[in-house]
Formats: sequence, C-alpha cells, structure tokens
Amino acid sequence: MRSYWFGDVVDGQCTPSSGDAPAKAERVRSIRTSMDPFVPLTWETAVACGACRDRADYIARLREVCFAAADHDIRQQYSGKDAELLQMVRTLDEMDTVINLLTERAVEWFQLRHPTFTRKYRKTPAHILVKNIREKSRGALSFVAGEIERLSSTRTELAKAVSGRANDVMPNTSALIGGLVAARLMSNAGGLEDLSRMPASAIQVLGARTALFAHLRTKSPSPKHGIIFQHRRVHNAPRDCRGKVARVLAGKLAIAARIDHYRGVADPEFLESAQARIDLAGSVTGNVTDKTIENLAEKATDDVTGKENES
Amino acid sequence: MIWIGDVLVSHGDGGVYSERMLGKARVWDPFRSKLSALYHKGTGVEITKETRVLYLGAANGTTVSHVADYADVVYSVEFAPRPMQDLLEVARRRKNIVPIMADATRPEQYAPLVEMVDLIYQDVAQPDQATIAIRNSVFLRTGGHLILMLKTRSVDVRKEPDVVFQETVDALTSAGFVVQESIWLTPYHQDHAAIVCTKPEM
Repeated sequence: MRSYWFGDVVDGQCTPSSGDAPAKAERVRSIRTSMDPFVPLTWETAVACGACRDRADYIARLREVCFAAADHDIRQQYSGKDAELLQMVRTLDEMDTVINLLTERAVEWFQLRHPTFTRKYRKTPAHILVKNIREKSRGALSFVAGEIERLSSTRTELAKAVSGRANDVMPNTSALIGGLVAARLMSNAGGLEDLSRMPASAIQVLGARTALFAHLRTKSPSPKHGIIFQHRRVHNAPRDCRGKVARVLAGKLAIAARIDHYRGVADPEFLESAQARIDLAGSVTGNVTDKTIENLAEKATDDVTGKENES
Repeated sequence: MIWIGDVLVSHGDGGVYSERMLGKARVWDPFRSKLSALYHKGTGVEITKETRVLYLGAANGTTVSHVADYADVVYSVEFAPRPMQDLLEVARRRKNIVPIMADATRPEQYAPLVEMVDLIYQDVAQPDQATIAIRNSVFLRTGGHLILMLKTRSVDVRKEPDVVFQETVDALTSAGFVVQESIWLTPYHQDHAAIVCTKPEM
C-alpha cells in the first residue's frame, strides 16, 4: 500500500481520504513512507482517485492541506512554555545593551555642558549618574535621562518576570544556576529542547562562541566557561579551579535541562546531590582523583546540604 | 530567464519584500538572492512555465517568490516557524507555491505531498548539504537538475571553503550526479558556491 495526502493506493486501486484539510494534514503526519523503493506520487493518480478534477484543482487542494499542516505545526511550536521565555530573555539582553549605550551617550553629552565633570575617582553607579544628569540638566538631555531611568525600571521588572518564568519552565536548571542565567542558557541554545539535547561540554562554553572558534582555528587555549560564568559559583571560585567548577556545573546542568524538558518538575533528590557535587568542586583544589572526590563527597554531603537549605 | 538590459527580472505581483520595480517587472537582486547571483554569473538552469521545482530551505520566501513567477509549481520546504510565517503569506498570494513545513534532511516526512520535479533548488544552512541533496534526489526526474547553494561556512568553519567545496562535489559525483558546473558566487556572496548537477539515466 502506498499512502499519499489524497488517499491510499493498493494494487492500482485508490481509496480517497475523507475529511477536511486539517483532517487530511493530520493523516499525512501519521503516514510512514518507505523511501526504499520510493514511488513518487503523480497528480493523475489523484484525479483517478476522485480526489480532484484536474491539475489546477490538485494543486489548490494540496495547498489547503499544506497550509493547514503548517498552521498547526507553527502553533504547536509556539505553544511551548519556553517560547515566550525565549523572547523575554532576548528582550532583556537587548534592553541592557540599549541602556548602556544611551547612558554612555548621555554622559558624554552632559560632559559637554559641564567641562569640569569627570567620572575618574568616583564610584557613582550608572543609575545614580543618570538621575543626577536628569536633575541637573534642562531640556532634551533631561528628558533623555528620564527616559533611560524609565527604561531601567522596565528592565528591572522584566528581569523579575524572566526569573519567575524560568523557575516555572525550567525548575531544575533554575535551582542550580538561578532563573536569569538559566533563561540565558536556554535562549543561547535556541530553546529548552535544544538545551536538553546538548552535551555538558557544549553547555559549559555556551556564549563563548568567539573564544571557542578562536580555539578551534588557532592554538589559543579553549574557553573554560561561557554564560555559566555569570553564576556566582563560577566567578567567585578561585582562578585555578574555576574551569573545574564550570565543568562540574555544566555536567549537572545538562542533566537538569533534561529533567526540565522531559519531566518538567523539580527533582529535589537530584538537586541535593548536584548542589553538593558542585560545591565540592569549588572547595577542593589541586590535583585530586575521582576516588578522593568520592571520599570527600561522602563526608561533605551532610554539612554542604545543610548550608544550602539555610540559604 | 527575462532580462531588461543587464537586470534580471521576473513577472508577477510586486511588493513582496519592497523589491525595486522596472515598469511591471520585479527586479531580482543578485546581492540578495543567491539564485539571481548564479544567473548573473551567466549560468544556471532555465526555469519555464512547465518547470516543477522542489525548493529546500525556502526561508522567508523572497527567492521563492521569484522562482514562482517563472515556474509551474514550487514545493517550498522550510523547517523554522518564524520564516515559515512569512513564507505562508507569500504562498497565500502566489497560487503556485506549495508551502511545506518539514525538515529537508527527512524527505520521508513530506514524500506523501511532493510529486516528481524537474529542478531541485537547495539553499540550506546545514552541515551535511550533499547528503540532503542525495536523499531528496528521489523526487528528481532523470534528466532533471539540481542546483545546490553551498554555504561552506555552515559545513565546517575550520575547513577552508575550497576543501568543503571539493568534498561536496565529490560526494555528489559518487552518488551518481553529473556535475555540470560549479562556481563561486563572488562578488555577490562570500564563501558561497553554486553547484549545478544533472541526474543522468540510470
């Protein structure tokens, strides 16, 4: 039997498929075509089958089915819980870029009006600086500074929303590395499914594209971490074991992403052991074998998990 | 193909992507479309009102719209939902485009929809571009043409474009294609090559 979008053909006998375009599209999705040997369909078969009148009619009906199928598939892809989170986190990162650019520009503008102004030897945070510019200036510059402030507050709200949604969409990954960074990882991978299919080594250097390809092309050292550097456990780790922490963390994140994608709920047991293992990587320095780590792990698990629960 | 002076055009309803118009003809920009670049290089495959085309990697439907102006029917395969939204809009207004949302690496998914075609045009950003072409060649009639736009940087950034190019040509040849022409698309597109093949009688 050969199944086509318009019907099934058995020994030259054709049974047209019933239903409207979405129903036919659904049927096409279920057809398993053998490619060896493969017999392509002809529109004449469809006419003989009574599925259409002529070639123009054939194409018109086929289009209806294809449109219905595509509509359905697009909807399905967009309905994933991660789809909106992806847009949210990308908006957030773009807002950061815009805010930084505008702040820099506003400061330069402000300096022109106040030739004695300098940022040297001051530790004024950017948002205070923008506030000062708004208050001390008149006209357009003041408006621009005000606009940057509003943008910043929108950004803060958005960051909270991203965190909250990430906790919901990817509970395990978020628990290990924080909602914001988890969302960034997912965004960089292209979606939760893509992230869950990545090997740990790829997750470790997600976001370090330039360094990674520089490493592959030339003899420069490989990057130790990408986005996961933003997590405190990586950037707070002593330099000599940062790479190790990043590697262990990435390993656990790969598992977490898979639990998130396929199960979708937090797994306290996994999280507990993962947290302990990651903390251990940060606390043991120098050359240690897996054996010593295991031994230490057994000893350390209790007090480390105790610490985690407090915080 | 239709030329007005040295400008490649196609006849159809304009305004698809704010393309320039010459009278009622739509200008087909070689810097935007790789297929147009191929024709501007003085080669390519003639598309006529009888040509049935399988277009792999249809993307936003920009080039598809021009191909549809020339061809009988264009089966346009695209995988990603975002460009597919644009492609659907183009297809709604051009009755000879059949939009198919599927993965070009898995032709069995859309085999129940596609008939034999005269031309396969492939422009996908995938590492195994020769394999995709070979798998899809079941839809190509004998004597039909394959135009493969090779994005050498998608195959392997570590390899020299020339090496990737040669490997792809070899893979196609050993799969039974006869390579008619292989050409770099400079100055229109960097690191992109076009390979034009025919499927010989078995």
